[in-house]
Amino acid sequence: MTERFHYPTDREKLSAARAKALEKLLIEKGVITEMTVDKVLGFFETRMGPFNGAKLVARAWVDPAFKARLAKDTPAAIAELDFPDGMAGAEGEHMRAAINEPGVHNLIICTLCSCYPWPVLGLPPYWYKDPSFRSRAAREPRKVLAEFGLDLPSTTEIKVWDSSAQIRWFVVPERPAGTDHLTEEQLAALVTPEAMMGVAVANAA
Amino acid sequence: MLTRFEHYAVTEMMGDADRPPRRNGTLCFSHEWERTAFGTALALAKNGDFEWETFRQRLIEAIGTWERDHDLQDPTWNYYDRFVEALENAVIEAGLATADEIQAALRTEVATQ
Repeated sequence: MTERFHYPTDREKLSAARAKALEKLLIEKGVITEMTVDKVLGFFETRMGPFNGAKLVARAWVDPAFKARLAKDTPAAIAELDFPDGMAGAEGEHMRAAINEPGVHNLIICTLCSCYPWPVLGLPPYWYKDPSFRSRAAREPRKVLAEFGLDLPSTTEIKVWDSSAQIRWFVVPERPAGTDHLTEEQLAALVTPEAMMGVAVANAA
Repeated sequence: MLTRFEHYAVTEMMGDADRPPRRNGTLCFSHEWERTAFGTALALAKNGDFEWETFRQRLIEAIGTWERDHDLQDPTWNYYDRFVEALENAVIEAGLATADEIQAALRTEVATQ
């Protein structure tokens, strides 16, 4: 009498088993190690560089007058906070804040490394400089945002800002609901570089 | 500017049929095994065990086959089911393991769950 082997009928359990089995097999063969997957995915999860922008956003959320100043004269508003030198931009550079509001969502694109607001957002993600991302974001921003997993209501206006070496845009995302009780520091922790580039929104933790 | 292979590889997928799911701007894994599959594929390509573009072709084919055989609104769609299929095929094609070895490993995994 032979025993029949039963694969999981649950599709998801089967895929999970296939993925784990393959990893174990490759580890056994010395092709990868137990650390490999975490190491690889760690490159996507680490924020590179100082993230001063979160503090700017948190301040704007708690202080509406500051938010207004940030919109009107971004470098001057940035200078109000105690940031390292160069945050507001060296000569010839000009930071500009694009404020998200109910019904208005901003998205920033640029063509050059030099037009990314490094002091505010840290190092840019690789895809940001991808020409296809830039041209598609300019042409069909709603679709590109959907690919980033951000589905905005059709009633939301999407404004696309093209940064240059002279004017570097960043987004001030909307403050998430249910955060009235949080300190400025806790609010800053809710802000991501993706939200300040406009491919994400800030969520309450 | 220094670029990580992993970032380049994932950016290549943007806008194409094999792009991975994202949620609120970042890669979205619903389960640990999805992370495992994705990380394994990137690591093998980075190591030169197979070409990332070759793997992507397998993935695009797997996605195309599924779409041909299913209603596009079918809720059983899972990108990572196709991803694992494509990864197994790429691993076999690259000579890293045989189909028999993969089946045997799967049986062991299922038996020990």
